[in-house]
Amino acid sequence: MSEKKERIVLDVAYQPQVRTGTDTRRIMLDVMIALLPAVAVSVWQFGVYPLAVIAVSMASAVFFEWGYRKLMKKTNTVGDLSACVTGLLLALTLPPTAPLWLPPIGTFFAIVVVKQLYGGIGKNFLNPALAARAFLLASYALLMGQYAVPSSLAGIDGVSSATPLSYLYDAGAFPAYIDLKGLFLGTIPGSIGEISALALLIGFAYLLIRKVISWRIPTAFVGTVAVLTLIFGGSGFGRVEWMLANVLSGGLMLGAIFMATDYATSPVTLNGQLLFGAGCGALTVLIRYFGGFPEGVSYAILIMNLCSWAIDKLFHRHQFGVTKEDIEAEKAARKAAKEAAK
Amino acid sequence: MSHTFKGGVHPNYMKAPQIPVTVIAPPAQVVIPMAQHIGAPCKPLVSVGDYVKMGQKVGENPAPVSAPVHASVSGKVVAVEPRPHPLGDMILSVVIENDYQDTPCEDLAPLTPEELKDPDAILDRIREAGVVGMGGAMFPTAFKIRGGIGKVDKLIINGAECEPYLNGDHLTMLNFPEQLLKGIELVRIASGVEKAYYGIEKNKQDAIDLLNSLHPEKYGIEIVPEEVKYPQGGEKMQVKAVTGREVKPGGLPSGVGCNVVSTRTSYAVYQACYEGKPVIERIVTVAGSALKAPVNGLTRVGTPFGYLAEQCGGFVKDPRKIVLGGPMMGICATSFDAPTIKGTAGVLFFTEEEDRHVEHPTCIRCGKCITVCPMNLEPVFMYMYYSKGDFANMEKYHILDCFECGSCAFNCPARMPLTHAFKTAKLMFQAKAAKEKAAAEAAAAAAAAKEVKV
Repeated sequence: MSEKKERIVLDVAYQPQVRTGTDTRRIMLDVMIALLPAVAVSVWQFGVYPLAVIAVSMASAVFFEWGYRKLMKKTNTVGDLSACVTGLLLALTLPPTAPLWLPPIGTFFAIVVVKQLYGGIGKNFLNPALAARAFLLASYALLMGQYAVPSSLAGIDGVSSATPLSYLYDAGAFPAYIDLKGLFLGTIPGSIGEISALALLIGFAYLLIRKVISWRIPTAFVGTVAVLTLIFGGSGFGRVEWMLANVLSGGLMLGAIFMATDYATSPVTLNGQLLFGAGCGALTVLIRYFGGFPEGVSYAILIMNLCSWAIDKLFHRHQFGVTKEDIEAEKAARKAAKEAAK
Repeated sequence: MSHTFKGGVHPNYMKAPQIPVTVIAPPAQVVIPMAQHIGAPCKPLVSVGDYVKMGQKVGENPAPVSAPVHASVSGKVVAVEPRPHPLGDMILSVVIENDYQDTPCEDLAPLTPEELKDPDAILDRIREAGVVGMGGAMFPTAFKIRGGIGKVDKLIINGAECEPYLNGDHLTMLNFPEQLLKGIELVRIASGVEKAYYGIEKNKQDAIDLLNSLHPEKYGIEIVPEEVKYPQGGEKMQVKAVTGREVKPGGLPSGVGCNVVSTRTSYAVYQACYEGKPVIERIVTVAGSALKAPVNGLTRVGTPFGYLAEQCGGFVKDPRKIVLGGPMMGICATSFDAPTIKGTAGVLFFTEEEDRHVEHPTCIRCGKCITVCPMNLEPVFMYMYYSKGDFANMEKYHILDCFECGSCAFNCPARMPLTHAFKTAKLMFQAKAAKEKAAAEAAAAAAAAKEVKV
């Protein structure tokens, strides 16, 4: 025993000596699991080709993450799976017919320019996948606007590949083959991951159960869009139908659940998250009503990303034990000091 | 109304309360450190060669914030010298060679029925018997109660035992319920209050039922079942859960009329007053994946950790850490020769299995630290300003209000050393204050010298 004791070198560390089982890798894995229903719907509606887009996107994202860190002689961070998530999310915002050379351009921008140049995971201030989508939209507007006709609508006369959102704001009416049920289930033209609100909500429920994200940002985001569209309405639609159509289309669910909740680029303060979500919602509505083109979710989130830091500062909270009276008293004291200085 | 607080985490509790409690055979030599409490360390009352009885006082200090220490076995004093202390460093200790007779010392007689109703007699006995906060804080109990008299209108007994692994409080409730209630009654009488609230987490439902069946109201006690959540056993969280009051930042529970006394301390008060027995043993949970057969053992104060491990069948794997207390707030011992002391509720021998250390932790800004902080702090920003050495912002983000419960670091998926950083930051603030004070004194001295010259 005593001999054994001699050769044991004891570690010392401050508390806690135990840690939760959930680590960064597990969180990223959970996000990917939560996106599986959306991927499944896209296979159902668009065939297996979207899987190739997703695979290329994820593989290239991982490659750029690994390559950049290697080149810069930094630690290998591929294992945290965050690059996989970025690749997957970017692919889900692309049209199902996107050529396979397109995603790597996007992931290069997302991983190298947006994420790694600012220090890697947790340090970027824009959502990498969304920034890359914005980059691709600006660079390849035509490609990014070509949406395939989903299999459920194949054979119906007069089906075009325009997304529901364009009908909402340009035509004043949906064509016969688009209805709210289709919007909810995903039998509509759109990008790979955005078409089925139901699939995305299932993912949301999974993320909530796994405590990966809180309800705050998605609820504030979608809620704000719902309230504002209900108030302002749209020509050719009933108020409630207009509101539901707005909530269910244009990647709002994908954006609110999976993009706006990106850890690094959203506020960490609890009330800050509510404001952030509401801001995203208000900007989305603004862009949809007044913007040059109807797609508002991506830009709304990107703009709010830039405000995250300020929002967190705004909602710096009082510590345990500080009561409302204490805060009032402090305010009064400050006021008195100001007046005395005068 | 549910009795709980905001924030907190749910660690894997790993509790294994076995009944009856294993009695750990006293070792051949016990090491009684002269510092087993917060406050002035004791001065040894015995010298090498002296024969001491079990329970005999071997060290004391007349300072008000102090508590005497007693021999936990009978036998001969073989050394009075600095020995490894569980909290690190070498501390003057009395080493007693066990004669295995356990000859009791009769210095402390049980209190008379009249004395058992007299707050002063109880408090004097609590002090004489060396009772300290046995939840781990080791603050001298008599001083704490005296300080609260007149200020405190609610006495809270802490039975949360929210730390994983530990079972000592739970087993005390199950094995000595009547004695425990009497002990709490004594603390209540000494505090001069009408009622004591006994906060117990609901994962000890058997103990709650047992205590309730013994009519706690007879002793002026109300059992308050609490939500199971760490750190429910934190003083401020107990006060909040039981009374709804919030202790002010930087303040003590007595500031809002509350005093919190632990389960094991109340039992020690019972033993001191009814049995005339000083604090010389306690239930220690000995566990961790390194051990062959973990136990909850009634252990004499002064039992070396290496000996404890042997009593648990030795190691199946090499331990990486010896953790004292629970794993959430417990710190690491540096020596197998260091002994258990009054505040040692657990000795955990951890291997890599418990350790989820990563080489290059990187914050992903998930904000999970913010949602679990029971003090309403924002650890993610505190850590950021700590890394920058930005004292002004550390203060603005209330780093000094952190009581190091470890919830944030426990919950951190990126494994950031959050609590470690805040503990270090608090030391940095202390060092800074000391430096500034020294500089100010030096400046004042220089100014005075100048004046003299003029």
